Amino acid sequence: MDRRRFLGLAAAFTAAPALLSGAEPIRLGLTPVFLDNEAEVITRLRDAVGQGTGRPIDLIQRRTYQEVTGLLLEGGVDAAWLCGFPFLQHEAALALLGVPVWRGAPLYRSYLIVAAEENATDLAGLEGGTHAFSDPDSNSGWLVTASDLARMGRKPETFFQRALFTYGHRNVVRAVAGGLTRSGSVDGYVWEALAQVEPELSARTKVIARSEQLGFPPFVARRERIGDETMLALQTALLSLSATPPGRAALNLLQLDGIIPGDLTLFDGIRQRMRDVTG
Amino acid sequence: MTRPTSLPLSLRVPLITAGMMVLVGIVASQQVMATLGAVQEERLRELARLHVDGLTVALGPAVLRRDVWEVYDTLDRAKQAMAGQRLVLTVVADEAGQVIAASNPLRAPVDSLIEPLRQGAQPVETIRLTGEEPHVRVLSGLVFQGREVGTILSELDVSDLVAERRRVLLWLLAGNAAATLILALGGYIAVRRMLHPVAELAAHMARADGAPEAIPEHRIPAGDTELARLFQTYNAMIGAAAAKAEAERRLAERERFVSLGRLSSSLAHEINNPLGGLLNAADTIRTYADRPEVVRDSVDLLDRGLRHLRDVTRATLEQNRLDRHGLPLKPEDFDDLKLLFAPETARLRQTLDWQVDAAAAALATLSAASVRQIALNLLLNASTAAGEGGAVGCTVEFRPEGLCIAVSDSGPGLPPEARRRLLSDDALLPGTGVGLRLVRDLVAGLRGRIDYSRMPNRSVVQVTLPIGGDTC
Repeated sequence: MDRRRFLGLAAAFTAAPALLSGAEPIRLGLTPVFLDNEAEVITRLRDAVGQGTGRPIDLIQRRTYQEVTGLLLEGGVDAAWLCGFPFLQHEAALALLGVPVWRGAPLYRSYLIVAAEENATDLAGLEGGTHAFSDPDSNSGWLVTASDLARMGRKPETFFQRALFTYGHRNVVRAVAGGLTRSGSVDGYVWEALAQVEPELSARTKVIARSEQLGFPPFVARRERIGDETMLALQTALLSLSATPPGRAALNLLQLDGIIPGDLTLFDGIRQRMRDVTG
Repeated sequence: MTRPTSLPLSLRVPLITAGMMVLVGIVASQQVMATLGAVQEERLRELARLHVDGLTVALGPAVLRRDVWEVYDTLDRAKQAMAGQRLVLTVVADEAGQVIAASNPLRAPVDSLIEPLRQGAQPVETIRLTGEEPHVRVLSGLVFQGREVGTILSELDVSDLVAERRRVLLWLLAGNAAATLILALGGYIAVRRMLHPVAELAAHMARADGAPEAIPEHRIPAGDTELARLFQTYNAMIGAAAAKAEAERRLAERERFVSLGRLSSSLAHEINNPLGGLLNAADTIRTYADRPEVVRDSVDLLDRGLRHLRDVTRATLEQNRLDRHGLPLKPEDFDDLKLLFAPETARLRQTLDWQVDAAAAALATLSAASVRQIALNLLLNASTAAGEGGAVGCTVEFRPEGLCIAVSDSGPGLPPEARRRLLSDDALLPGTGVGLRLVRDLVAGLRGRIDYSRMPNRSVVQVTLPIGGDTC
C-alpha cells in the first residue's frame, strides 16, 4: 500500500464521524480543471475538506465552466473552484475564499502546445491550422491565446482554419498528441502535472509559448455569503489543508503546496487580457 | 514416354488410388478452407457489426452536431479500450463525406474527404476475406433518429486470420500429402497382393520358352471363385491348345504321306519304266554271255537303271523320314524334290522349269523338313492347277530379304477358297484340303511371308523365308 492510498484510507476513517453526523452538506462546485484521475482526487478532496469543516462535502462537477459558474451564481452550489476568467467576469457577485499555491506561488501560466514533431515555434506560425481550446470560459485554455491573437489584430475563428473546444485541459493535450489538431491552448499547471503522471502522453507534445504568470484558479463564493458560518468553516478548512494529513494527501495528489487567502491583484493579468479581447 | 496403359496393373491401380486420394484431398481441403473462411468472415462480420452499432449509438448526437471533439474523444477512448485488438482505424464522416474525426487523425485529418479511404471498403453485412491483405475496410452508414447522418469507416486487422488460413492450408497440404502417401502405399500393397494370382497367371502364360504352362492344382487360389475360375479356364485352354498342336502335328505328318501318296503312281511308273529295259538287259547278258562288249553295254545299262531306282527310292525314303526334324536344308534337298516331282509332270505331259540357285551355307539356317514340305505342297498344287499339258516352274534364289521360293503354273489361278487357306488364318471349311493351310502354318513358323500374284496366264506363289531367323 503506497503512502497516498494509506493517507486516503486514513482520511476516510477520520472523516466518517462527521459524515455520520447528518449535518447539512456543503456543496462545492468543481470545474474540470485537473487530471483524468478525478475520482481519486475528488475522494481525497472531499475527505480532507469534510474533515476540516466537520461537515459532509458534496463535490459537484459539470462539463463546462459556464455550467459550474451558473450553478454558483444561482445558489446551486455554496462555493466553487473556478478559473480566474469567469471569476472576473462575475466579479461583482463573487468573492475569493482562497487561491491554491503551486510551486511556491499562487500563479500559473498558459502553454501553447504543438505535436512533438511540429516545426512551428510561435503562435504566428500556427496560422491556418487546427487548434484545440479547453473551454470558452477558461483563462489558460482560451483567453490567453485569444488575447494574444487580439494583440496581433486577429481572431481565433479566422486565424485558425478550425478551432474546437475539448472541455478539459487534458483533452487539449490528447487532441494535440493524437494529431486531431495542430496546436492547443492548455493550462500550464495541468500540462506539468501530466508530465509527472502521464509522461507518455505529454511527451508527444511540446510547449512553444508560455504566457506570463497569471492568478491561479481560485476558490470563490457568492459575495453575500462571505462571512457566514458555512463559508467561514469552508475557508478555514481550505486554508488549513496543508496542516492536516488528509489535506496534504489531497494537495499532493493535486501537486499543490497549499491554499492562501490571496487577493484580487493576482488576477490583474487576466483582467488585462480580458480587456484586450473585448477591445 | 511410357504410356499409362503400358504400366503393370499392380502399379496402375495404386496410382489411380493415389490420384483419387489427391482429388478427394483437394476437394476436402477446399471444403475445409471454405468453411474456415465462412467462420472467419462471420466472426469478423459480428465484430464489425457490434463495433458499428456501438459507435452509432455513442456518436449519433455528436455527428449530428458535427462535434469534432466528441467524436474524436469517443473513438480515441474506444481505441484505448480495444488496444491490441482488431480495430486499426475508425473514421467518421458527415453526409457530405467530409471527415469529422478519426481514431488516427494523421491518417484521416479533420475536414479531409473520406473518399480515398473508401476504396475497397466492404459493407458490414457482406464482408469477405480475400487475398493476403492484412487489413479489411468496412463501410457502414451512421443512422441516427432514422436518418443517415454520416458514415463510419473501420479498418480491421485480419492478419491473424490470414495467417491462420495459411497455417491451416499448410497443415491440410501436409496432412493430405501424408494421408495420400500412406493410402497409396497401402493400396499398392493391397492391390499387389490381390493381383498376385494374376501376375502368376501372366508368368505361366509367357514362359521363357514361349510355351504356356498349366498352373498346378495346388496353386489355384482357394476361396476366390473368380480367380479360381479364371485359373481353371486357363488350364482348360492350355489343354485345348496342346491338343490342337498335337492334332496339327499329326495332320502335317499325314500330309507328308498324302503328298507322297499322290506321287506314288508317278513313282511306280518311274520305277516300272526302267524295269522293262533292265529285264531286257538281263536277258541280253544271259543270251550273249560270251560277247563281252554286249555284256559290258548291258551291264552299263543295268547300272544306270539301278542307280536311278536307288535315287528314287532314297528320295522317297528321305521325304518320309520321321527323324528329319532339325536337319539343316541342303541343295540336295531340292534335287530330291525334283526327282520326286518330275515324274508327276511327265505323267501329265507338263513342262517343268526348274531353276535352283542356292548356296549350301545360307540354306543351312533353315529346317530341311519344313522347306521340303512347303515346296512339295506348292509344286503339287501347281501341277494340279496347270492340268494336262500345262507348265510348272520352280525358282529358288537368294534375295536380300531371304530365300525366295517361287512356284508358278499356267493354270487359271487360285480359287478364292484356296487363296483363303494360303493367305489368311480364317477357319477352314469342313472337308477342304489342308495342304495349303499347312504351307501357311509352316511359313509362319519360319517367320516367312507368302505372296500370291496372278499374271495374264500365270499364277505365282512366292514364299520368302528370312535367313538366320530375321523377318524379311
